[in-house]
Amino acid sequence: MSEPLSGLEPDDLDGHTIEELSDYLDAGRSPADASIDASPGCQIALAALARLRSLSGSILDAEASGEPVPDESWISGIVQNIGREARAGRSIPLSHPSPSASLALTEGSVRGLIRAAGEEAGGLVVGRCRLDGDVATPGAPVAIQVEVSAYGDESIPAAAARLRTAISEALGRHTELVVTAIDITVQDIHTVTGDGSEGAS
Amino acid sequence: MRLVVESRTRPDLSAADDRILAGRAADGDIPAFEVLVRRYGRLMRVYARRVLGSNADVDDVVQDAFIQAWQHLPSLDDLGSVKSWLMRIVARKSFDRLRARREHDDIDDHERPSPEAQSPQAIVEADSLEHALSLALAALPVEQARCWVLREVAGYSYLDIGRELDIPSSTVRGIIARARKNLIREMEGWR
Repeated sequence: MSEPLSGLEPDDLDGHTIEELSDYLDAGRSPADASIDASPGCQIALAALARLRSLSGSILDAEASGEPVPDESWISGIVQNIGREARAGRSIPLSHPSPSASLALTEGSVRGLIRAAGEEAGGLVVGRCRLDGDVATPGAPVAIQVEVSAYGDESIPAAAARLRTAISEALGRHTELVVTAIDITVQDIHTVTGDGSEGAS
Repeated sequence: MRLVVESRTRPDLSAADDRILAGRAADGDIPAFEVLVRRYGRLMRVYARRVLGSNADVDDVVQDAFIQAWQHLPSLDDLGSVKSWLMRIVARKSFDRLRARREHDDIDDHERPSPEAQSPQAIVEADSLEHALSLALAALPVEQARCWVLREVAGYSYLDIGRELDIPSSTVRGIIARARKNLIREMEGWR
């Protein structure tokens, strides 16, 4: 524990103020100030300021853990509000036998297909997806970029191969996109230990 | 060779990391966004409460912040930093609310000493250093707690705090120095 604090006013701090000492701490005690470094009162106050600072980073997280869980009606208020704005993205045409009718998918729905393919494949969670290419032009080459996290202890290449197959099948079944590549980037790997707890690596 | 198909794990979204969830939400996946709301809703609430200085408006401010976050997520470059990004949004929403209160001149209704203020005895008996600081913070005048949190927790400069709260940065410096002194004195009781 630190030494008892005599006071925090200039009289106790050899003429220095808490503002100055805070700035000195902010600057990493550099350049060194002999009149601060040689003052026992300042040293005690600096130690107290440093202790306060070391707690400040975690204080809100600590308070949040004691906060009641948000109620469901508050959460659904948010979800209902955002649900009005779908992220449709670009329009992806589908051919149709009648020349006077047009049919199209949204880019957002294609991303949804890719996420669902990820759930089917297992072992990986699909994050952001990008469709690179001119999806609005039938027959134009399109490359799919997918970010994933890996879970479990199975081989990542095996899970990625399964995901690639699942995406390719889903897009082949539901779209007419000419997919030239499916690039999967593993963002991070979570290992599941025996007791069911998780660690990120 | 092990049959991987049998041991295939089907991870739950609530275990996914921020970057993945933010990426899905940016692409329009509402369930992923809901996981972020559950993960950071409480943190955003305590932060908003400290900046606003009371419970009034906290739920609305955090709700507005999440709705704005949803709208702007597709343009967030570093999806992995979604937590600090959400914190910045809720701070901005809180500043807007404080500004509106100033314009309506009803500061007094909101700036009463916080009802959660604790006796020094409670601080002495706090079960952890964080808890003691939390009690000490609650005992501070609202303006001191607000400025201290913005500076020390959120990392705002004196200048930015002054700009957001419409007070000179020299005044902000003085307020934060008083907050530090008070917090240090209050914390001295906790040993």
